[in-house]
Amino acid sequence: MVAQLERSHHPPFVDSGDPIETASDKAFSLAPGQIAGLSGLPGSGLTRVGLSLLVPYTSRGPLAYLDVRGWASPLAAWELGIDPEHFVVVRTGDLVIWSRVVAVLLDGVRAVYAEVPMGIKDAALRTLAAKARTRRTPLVLRPLDGKLPNGVVNLHLEAREVTWEGTEQGHGQLMRRRTLLDASGKTMRGMERIVEVEDDGTNNMRVVSHLGAQASRGFA
Amino acid sequence: MWYPTWALKRPGVSHDAPCQAVDDKNTVIALNTLAAATGISVGMQRRAAEALCPTVVTIKRDEAADMSRFESVVELIESIVPRVEIADPGLAFVPVTGAVSYYGGEHALVERIDKELNVFGGDRRFGMAAGPFAAWQAVRTTSEESPLYIVEDDAAFLERLDISAIGSDDLAATFRWLGITTLGALAELPYDAVISRFGRQGMDAHRIARGIGDDARPRDMSSDPAVEAVFDPPIDNFEQASFIARNLSQRLIGQLAPHGMAPHRVVVTAVAADGTERVRTWRSADPFDDHTLADRVRWQLRAWIDGVSVGIRGGISSLRLEPDDLSGSGRQLALEEDAKAVEETQRAFMEVQAIAGGDNVLVSVPQGGRDPGQQVLWSRWGEDPVTAARDIDAPWPGKIPSPAPMLVPPDPVPFTVSWVDGTPEHVRLRSRWVPVLSWAGPWRHFGRWWDGEGSADRYQIVTSAGAYLCEVRDGNTYLIGVYD
Repeated sequence: MVAQLERSHHPPFVDSGDPIETASDKAFSLAPGQIAGLSGLPGSGLTRVGLSLLVPYTSRGPLAYLDVRGWASPLAAWELGIDPEHFVVVRTGDLVIWSRVVAVLLDGVRAVYAEVPMGIKDAALRTLAAKARTRRTPLVLRPLDGKLPNGVVNLHLEAREVTWEGTEQGHGQLMRRRTLLDASGKTMRGMERIVEVEDDGTNNMRVVSHLGAQASRGFA
Repeated sequence: MWYPTWALKRPGVSHDAPCQAVDDKNTVIALNTLAAATGISVGMQRRAAEALCPTVVTIKRDEAADMSRFESVVELIESIVPRVEIADPGLAFVPVTGAVSYYGGEHALVERIDKELNVFGGDRRFGMAAGPFAAWQAVRTTSEESPLYIVEDDAAFLERLDISAIGSDDLAATFRWLGITTLGALAELPYDAVISRFGRQGMDAHRIARGIGDDARPRDMSSDPAVEAVFDPPIDNFEQASFIARNLSQRLIGQLAPHGMAPHRVVVTAVAADGTERVRTWRSADPFDDHTLADRVRWQLRAWIDGVSVGIRGGISSLRLEPDDLSGSGRQLALEEDAKAVEETQRAFMEVQAIAGGDNVLVSVPQGGRDPGQQVLWSRWGEDPVTAARDIDAPWPGKIPSPAPMLVPPDPVPFTVSWVDGTPEHVRLRSRWVPVLSWAGPWRHFGRWWDGEGSADRYQIVTSAGAYLCEVRDGNTYLIGVYD
């Protein structure tokens, strides 16, 4: 049975009913104080995946999106079920104040999604991670380039492959996206798994299967 | 003391032409006699007013500027009667109990104030009563020819007033439907029955009708609820003052909210760099919330900072907000909200505004539009909610269907796509070419040709690395969205 998410009162990822490992569904809910890291090119759907992890927290307060590029659009966030008044975008690409802004947000906001600009030192990220854990604020980090230092995140998701349904050669429209993700980290109990996520543009993004087999890397 | 046309008392407004002032909702709030002669009245929509008199000059209300000018009026009244309270630029409440006997009666006092205010000119009115609500109703019954109304008996005066005086249109309509058309008729109803049927709104209306007025139901707080901020160096520009006003107002209201309280009166005290202290009291019939209070404090600070004769010298070195007339009408928190978390969140965003700038902390509301960028209306966090400018329910032909791209550049970004016979073959991502797997479109956008805007075709392009929303305009391809 596919459970529909209603206004983000439920976990964002819901078992499709055909799981290989149902227990792993819990890997995609970010507990208070946990940190997720996302790696992959823009276009791979990671922003929506990251926001989905934080959607359950937005029923009780705003989510802060730290927008380094100035490109964040709330339309997709609204589609995920985030209330417009609970989606606050903070635009800053300034390396000098970035860490300070994240620290302040972690102090007072329910959930934080932060794009990480190039040049942020590992030590600063570790400090922020410690603050998120202390304050029990879930944090999603999306480095715009490079990787996050080891030991910072509880859940690391790397886009492996993305396919879209709905478009042909000049016909149709984008309908549904399936993204293969490499999931690793403490919340995966130390194991690296490949997870397929289906996203049809609404708030019922879900894990459709947990693939154990290692495939060749198809995503750059 | 009321200047009904205070919004029109600004430099450059002609007295020889019909003129009206409108608020943010384009409702007429003030008009001169020439405009009134054409049939325009207060409360009318601007469009209707302009239909009646196409030559009417319309000005938008600017409360901060109005207050800057009104501060001089208040200063002058305070030189005669202290502790003047401001409800709005143009409307002040003056406690006259002591002054009436000092000046030898109500008429003598009003004549003295009126004489002093002659320097400002304009149509000014006076209403005198035992309570502020009756005084406000009294001044509303005056005219330019008869500018003074003294109420001998508040209860007798109020019982003749129309039921609409309670301020709530819906409740007034219900009472009218029940045959209760005056405040007197409402006052005769049993208090308990009105509360039982109409709840808090009914209770407030009944109190007004009985002449008890809008006095707040006092509540006690164990700790001092006042908030204060000290500035070193002193603040001396309006932008800074606006931030401070909002910050302090939110702190004050946030501090009272957990106790379910909100102030009807707030005393604003500013100390100048040279030690001069300025105090002003603002009052409101409805309890202040953080937005309304921030506005009042902002107007007041502007009046002090920009004021010429009554300005503050060397900037403001400290600011204190002290609530008064606390009532139990504090903001009701949502079921899942907790007051401490709300306060922490507000404080965090205010601090981020201070670090990153007010323009970089944004919220948004949906609105109509064809492109993803057009469908979002941004505003600064903490400011009044904006109303969508474009109708979201309109058809918007050529609108890109959902799902929406997560990343939308503020301006279209040049995007390298190789086209073969009108079909996208490859796109360039960073330094390499990636084949196009599938694509959809075009969705044609017809620009406003009368403004010189051309048309554009939008395409959804899918590659192995992701999907992109592109726009082809004048033979060039631009990136307008990334489905991330």
